This record gives sequence, C-alpha cells and structure tokens, in this order.
Amino acid sequence: MADDENTAQTSPTATTTTHVITVWDLPIRLFHLALVAVVLVAYLSAYVLPENALGLHLWSGYVTVALLVFRLTWGWLGSHYSRLQSFAYSPAHILKHLQELATLRPVTHYIGHNPSGALMVFALLMVLSIITVSGLMVLGGEENQGPLAGIISYAVAEHAATVHNVIVLLLLAMVVLHIAGVLLETKLTGQRLVRAMFNGRKTVPLSTPSLPLRPARPVTAAAVLTVFITIAGSVLWALSTMPASGLITLPANTAYEGECGDCHSAFHPSLMPIASWAKVMGGLDDHFGEDASLDAETVTDITSYLTQYGGEKWDTEASNRFAILNPAKPLRITATPYWLRKHSAIAPAQFKLKSVGGKTNCGGCHRDQQSGRFDDQNIQIPKE
Amino acid sequence: MKILLILALGILLSSPAQADPRDDIIAGFKAQGAGDANLANGQKMYSTTYGSGKPDTPKCTTCHGATPQQGGQTRTGKAIDPMAVSRTENRFTDKKMVDKWFRRNCKGVIGRECTAQEKVDFLTFLASQ
Repeated sequence: MADDENTAQTSPTATTTTHVITVWDLPIRLFHLALVAVVLVAYLSAYVLPENALGLHLWSGYVTVALLVFRLTWGWLGSHYSRLQSFAYSPAHILKHLQELATLRPVTHYIGHNPSGALMVFALLMVLSIITVSGLMVLGGEENQGPLAGIISYAVAEHAATVHNVIVLLLLAMVVLHIAGVLLETKLTGQRLVRAMFNGRKTVPLSTPSLPLRPARPVTAAAVLTVFITIAGSVLWALSTMPASGLITLPANTAYEGECGDCHSAFHPSLMPIASWAKVMGGLDDHFGEDASLDAETVTDITSYLTQYGGEKWDTEASNRFAILNPAKPLRITATPYWLRKHSAIAPAQFKLKSVGGKTNCGGCHRDQQSGRFDDQNIQIPKE
Repeated sequence: MKILLILALGILLSSPAQADPRDDIIAGFKAQGAGDANLANGQKMYSTTYGSGKPDTPKCTTCHGATPQQGGQTRTGKAIDPMAVSRTENRFTDKKMVDKWFRRNCKGVIGRECTAQEKVDFLTFLASQ
C-alpha cells in the first residue's frame, strides 16, 4: 500500500529546505511518450487515414500491447515511483483526494502519482488492455487475420467490435480528463508536473532521499520481459498458423469465370446468399436488362458451383455483410446497403477509370478479392 | 513420345491449306438454309437502331464500338475487343461462342432470333473488316 513516504508538503519559495530529485526514471518517461505517440497513431489510422491504413493501426495495437507488458513489468521491477505498489491507494484515500481537489484550494503534493492520478493509471492500463484484446478479436473474426483468425467467429467479432468502438471513445474522454487533472494539480500544488513528465525531476523537501527509495532492477526486468515475449510470442505464432475460421479455399471454375466474366468480372461467390445465386442463374434470359442465357449444361455447372461456395459457406466480413440485401434490388450486389455505404465516398469518375473497370470489377481496387477476405490493407484505388 | 509429338506438330504447322474455322461455321448456317452473304445487309445490321429488343440494348453499338474497328464496352464497364476480324483475329472461330452470342444479342437487340441468312451476312461483313 502506498503510504506517507509519497506525500510532501512543499513550498517552492523555501529553497533552503528543498532539493531536486529524479522521480520518474528514464524508462517510465520513454514509456509515457511512446504510449502517447502510439495512441495518437491508432486514432489517426482509424478515424482520419483511409481504410487501407489498417496495417498501421494493427502496428499501433501491437506496440501498445508491448508497452502494456513493459509497464506491468516496470510496475513490479522499476524504481520506487514506477512501482504499482507505490501508488496503490485505498478507495477512501482516492475519494478524500478528489474531495480536496473539488474545493479548488491548494492540495498536498504527492511526489509520485497522486491518488487520482494513480486511479487514472490503473484505469488506463485496464482500458488499453480491453482495447487491444477486443481489437485482436475483431481482426480475427471480421478480417480473418492475426493470431485469433482461427478461433474467433464473425458473430463474436461483432460484439468485440462494439466493445472496441465504445471503449476507444471512453479512452478519448479519459485522455481529456487526464490532461485536465494534470493542469488542475499543477495549479493547486504549485508543482511543474508537465516539466517533470519530460525530465523526471521534481523539487521535494530535503527530508526526501535523493536516491530512489527502491532502485530499479533492470536486468531482472529485462529477463522477465524476455521470458514473457518468448512465451507469448510462441503462443501467438502457433495460433496464427491455424487456418482462418470461415475462410475456405475457392477452387477455380472455368465456366463461371469464363461465362460470367464475359460481361463483368465474376463476383466472388461469397458475396451473395445461395438462394440469390439460384435466382440469378434461373433468370439469365433477363439478367439486369440483358439476355445472358446459357445452355442448360453450363447453367447446371455454374449453379452447382455457386451453391457449393455461396455466401452461407463462408464466415467472413464480406459474406456476413453482403447477406443483408437491398429489398428493392435483392440480386444486385452493388446495391446492397453495405456495398453502398462502403463505396459512398468514392466518386463515380473513379469507377469509370479503365484501370478500375466499373463497379462490378471488385478486383480493380480489392487486390485480394480472389481470397474472399477483402483485406482493408489490400484496397488500392488506382489514380489513373 | 516427345519426338512423335514434335513430329505431329510439325506436320500440322506445315500443312498448306489451313481450314478457316469461320468457313465451317458459315457452312453450318448455309446448311440451315442461308444463301450467299450480303455484306451490305451485314453492315446495315451492325449500325441499325432496332429498339425492338430489350430497352437497354436497342442496337449493336450500345456495347460494341461505333465502327467494327473500334473496341466497345459492356454496360458494366468491361472492355470489348473490336468486332472486325482484322483487329481481333480469333473472332467467330468458336462455334459455341458464335451461337451463344447470336442467340443472346439477336433477342436482346432485335427481339427475336436471327435467321441463318442474317447470321451469314453479319459474320461475313465483320470478317471482311
């Protein structure tokens, strides 16, 4: 439990009775800066950059996990003020500090994390853990990528996506609250907390020892991290060798690709429910306003292929999303609500580009459409 | 085995009068009652606006190039090679394909199947281009 060694009533004017010590060691300061940077990249890659920046977003997630692991290790083996134990205040203590803050009168300065700051640290650790784990689940179940692709279904990933999306908003609110809290504490304690974030140094009473109360154990910490990374890395690697659930290998079908591909690229069979494919194949003499009739043998061949590999046979983001049809145009893939929503920002002129080849040519931009995965990272909209 | 194959290939390639697969296809239509080709009618068919088939496809050039030498585009935006044999060498060499597209496009554009005579006119005109 944190105790009195953390508190010190300081007065900046009484220079003779104070001295300057390093409160935040270098690893913890670097950790903090790195976390700020990586969270910023995560938000930018999710909300500002185009969809194909998913790769960058994933990296920000993986780095966050690494930083969390480091923080927990350093919370055990770092120098005194980095240790979780040094700022594990009781709820009553936290409440008391918050009440003090609420009066907006000068408050006790804590050398390490103060009780409300400590609460924020634990909350951030928890929220960031939830975000990264749920993100990994979304990646596995919706994108069929990453170590959980073989385990997580689309349905589970949808719930994880809800959690991910809500908690990242909570994180945003916490960041705002955290900065507001630092500014408030700076004002009420008279301590230059932001400067201390960069150089780690604070002015404290002479009675506070200049050496950390408990020194860091970097070698042990490095050993712990190495063991953890080896074990966790092996587990993740083993998991990532599992085939993605709901992603089957689509064999080629000459009749389908040849006949349908005469007029438009043959759509990936996962993009429509089997019943819809059957309807399309049963009405080829009036196929979206054209006669696309085929001999009976070819119709049978293509119909059985589409029945074998239609939407229901997959559990991908595409197969699930495209299962929701447009009631007015139930057989038109490019009229489904999902297709329209995902392509609403793309100018009609883009589709007219020769290199794109129209709305029916998924492969014009989705370079991996053959796999049925339609990775965000594999979207490449040609410029000309 | 390999030598035999090369030998066979050699004989095949050196045989003087390669039969034009288009001749067989035209002969097939003649067997269905068509007479000699009328190139002018073939040309007229290519450029006529019928409007009697499906509303979205009133004429050949809805999708095919404005002239047989020009490429066209399907309504979905996929490129179509020129119809003129001088531009697209393998045009009208696959009987199955010829039958399929005459069936579809005559119905779609004119609103009925084409006669054997019309097919001969149309095909011969494009082969001459």
